[in-house]
Amino acid sequence: MNKGYLCIVLHSHLPFVRHPEHEDFLEEDWLYEAITETYTPLIEVFERLLNDKVDFRVTISLTPTLISMLSDSLLQERYLKHINRLIELAHREVERTRWQPEFQGLAIMYLNNFCRARDTFERFNRNLVNAFKNFQDLGKIEIVTCGATHGYFPLMDICRESVRAQIKVAVSHYESVFGRKPLGIWFPECGYQPGQDEILKETGIRYFFADAHGVLHGTPRPKYGVFAPVYCRGTGVACFGRDLESSKQVWSSIEGYPGDYYYREFYRDIGFDLEYDYIRPYIHPDGVRINTGIKYYRITGSEHKQPYAPHLAREKAAEHAANFMFNRERQVEYLHDFMQKKPIIVSPYDAELFGHWWYEGPMWLDFLLRKIYFDQKAIATIHASEYLYENPRNQVVTPSMSSWGWKGYSEMWLQGPNDWIYRHLHKASERMTELARTFSHINPDGLLKRALNQALRELLLAQSSDWAFIMGAGTHTAYAVRRTKEHVLRFTNLYEQIKSNSIDERWLSDIEYKDNIFPNIDFRVHQ
Amino acid sequence: MAILRKIKERLKKVMQKEIAPAKVKGFFLRKAKTQKIKSPQRITKEVLGAQETAVEKTKFSTPAAVRVAPAMLQELPWGYGADKIVLQTRDPWWIHAYWELTSQTLDRSKERLGDVFFNAKRVLRVYDVSHIIFDGTNAHRFFDIEISSEANNWYIDTGGPGRSWCVDLGLRLPNGEFITIVRSNTVYTPIEGPSWITDEEWMVPDEMFARLYGMGFGLGRSSPVGKAWQERIKRALFSGILASPGITSVTSPVKIPKLRKFWLIVNTELIVYGATEPDAKVTIQGKEIKLRPDGTFSLRFALPDGKQVIPVAGTSADGIDTITITPIVTKETR
Repeated sequence: MNKGYLCIVLHSHLPFVRHPEHEDFLEEDWLYEAITETYTPLIEVFERLLNDKVDFRVTISLTPTLISMLSDSLLQERYLKHINRLIELAHREVERTRWQPEFQGLAIMYLNNFCRARDTFERFNRNLVNAFKNFQDLGKIEIVTCGATHGYFPLMDICRESVRAQIKVAVSHYESVFGRKPLGIWFPECGYQPGQDEILKETGIRYFFADAHGVLHGTPRPKYGVFAPVYCRGTGVACFGRDLESSKQVWSSIEGYPGDYYYREFYRDIGFDLEYDYIRPYIHPDGVRINTGIKYYRITGSEHKQPYAPHLAREKAAEHAANFMFNRERQVEYLHDFMQKKPIIVSPYDAELFGHWWYEGPMWLDFLLRKIYFDQKAIATIHASEYLYENPRNQVVTPSMSSWGWKGYSEMWLQGPNDWIYRHLHKASERMTELARTFSHINPDGLLKRALNQALRELLLAQSSDWAFIMGAGTHTAYAVRRTKEHVLRFTNLYEQIKSNSIDERWLSDIEYKDNIFPNIDFRVHQ
Repeated sequence: MAILRKIKERLKKVMQKEIAPAKVKGFFLRKAKTQKIKSPQRITKEVLGAQETAVEKTKFSTPAAVRVAPAMLQELPWGYGADKIVLQTRDPWWIHAYWELTSQTLDRSKERLGDVFFNAKRVLRVYDVSHIIFDGTNAHRFFDIEISSEANNWYIDTGGPGRSWCVDLGLRLPNGEFITIVRSNTVYTPIEGPSWITDEEWMVPDEMFARLYGMGFGLGRSSPVGKAWQERIKRALFSGILASPGITSVTSPVKIPKLRKFWLIVNTELIVYGATEPDAKVTIQGKEIKLRPDGTFSLRFALPDGKQVIPVAGTSADGIDTITITPIVTKETR
């Protein structure tokens, strides 16, 4: 019998970036890179585990924006174009490095990676959501939902109608994609504001995750800390707290695994390293050097980077998986003695950390899940919903406001470079509520209904926490500023046109075509 | 167990500091940030958070774009023509206020107050309204922040986690009288350490209970046990919740790379190109290559130090004629 559980949560999210009006749009690469480097490698890990009959549990949040992009035929088409170009570049690299065997081996590795990514992409009919759905239907993966566009809820508390819309749109989108209701939610940026769990209760969501201090600073003091869920006072929705120790081992760029000298260096990419004319066709059409994903060096630990050696990195990944498991075993044994019940250790990570930033991450996860299944008895992986089923009696606590962002609260999204957005976002929310209340009873159809629904789409898109994050992080903020302004302005124009009964159909069609997310949205949810 | 005791003691110290009564009286409050003791929890969180931010940033990697985005056709308005002030919580200590005042409202004040208006200070009056229904007069205490007429938002150091706050934007007249122009919503700053309330309440959701009841299981494994045990757990686990037990992780021997100031990189590549009949077969170092439709070819190799012998062999389509040309290239780096 195991003594406790490990709940691995991979939060997968990208903001909605889709520009049919441009042939080639740089920020769309965020999606393409994540498909090649994170989503397809993870899918391949799960397939291998299934193939080898390894029982495992992993929780994955797929945000509605990410699902929408993965299912979008234009972006699928563009991804193929993108990966084909990369494959071509990898072929040229194999040739170019003929007299440098240590690099040629790596060029071949990337060529294989890219071809495999394309195969996996094609195998699931170009829609990777199908893959995750299969794993969920097999019970190995539990997919939780998120805010519709990843709005940061604590800074939307002044207009809870928007929080409600974010959650309700996400839930109905989830149902239409996965054919069942979501059991859990990953709050965008893990941002929890007491009282917002009421909306979860309304929509039938049973649990969410909070950062460690969200639970530890809850009232009353949680008896088992973060190692057992608590029920929110008043709603009974379960809250699982994040375990900081296991987080740190993976996240920390200094003492965490990804910083190991044998692992691949993220910042040395041939898009920047190689001669300009040669690399020119594979970077941005405007001639801006960008990451290609082909990176030949390992972290090394000094200025003179050594070539990456895959077999050494693989050994390290196995070693780190063993270390992670060992630490969890000890943790669980210790906790089990005190709690006299099975603890749950919740370890959430940004999915894009795996493969994209930490190249060996998917391999590490593969090793870890295998080892847990074959090599020990103290821990088992579990879904949060299974834990609740097994341990229905839990303490009632009001968790504390918290997030997993910088400093643990709202500062990342509320500081000098981004605080100006809230007066506009809140005003738009207030107006959307007004529209929803005015027109709900009338049951509008045709043009008016289209305008109302589009207004809600624009508002939701403006609310993505990513824009504030990028502004706060301070590099290349122009795109984020523009997206915020554009959606707010489109919303405002729609609002004014609706109020003055002068909807411009041509313009409406144009923005429906550009911002085509959530085709079945219903503006009435914003109340 | 030594480690547990240490954690517990550290925690005790931290918590004693935390509950030291906030010295908030009178008009101005500027609590020096440095006096605050950071709990171990908070430190880990900040370091971790900064690292997470750095990693998350790589998701949105965008190079220094040379492209110039087309100008916005429209800009966001400065305001929306209403008197309004909104408060939001930034963290346990700080709240943020943004506001808008219409010129009509200001004109009305000017008319009413006459010359006094120009001697009045524009202030934010910050009320501590914890655990009360605020009616404008019953705040536990308040303090004022003078603001300039151009400011439209402000970060306020409340000095008090675990309290509720409300802010009036108004005018303070030379005689001390305060006139509220607009009042904010109320926000709560979260506590910054574990709660002192330890009353436990446990719950089994109805539908879960129904399931258990039906199965005749009673309350399952987590039912309360003997009092002595519970006492022990309460003490022992309390340390456990702040930091996981003393498990040392194997840390990678990683140091942060030093920032380079000046640097130079030199690489060499070799281009081998030529032409033949479009339907001929060409090999370079024994490996067949693809010709362009016009029979030309061009290959590019990274050129390491040393000698490269590069036989290029062309064979006619009928296989009868073969020509081999062998460039030999030596590269050395000094």
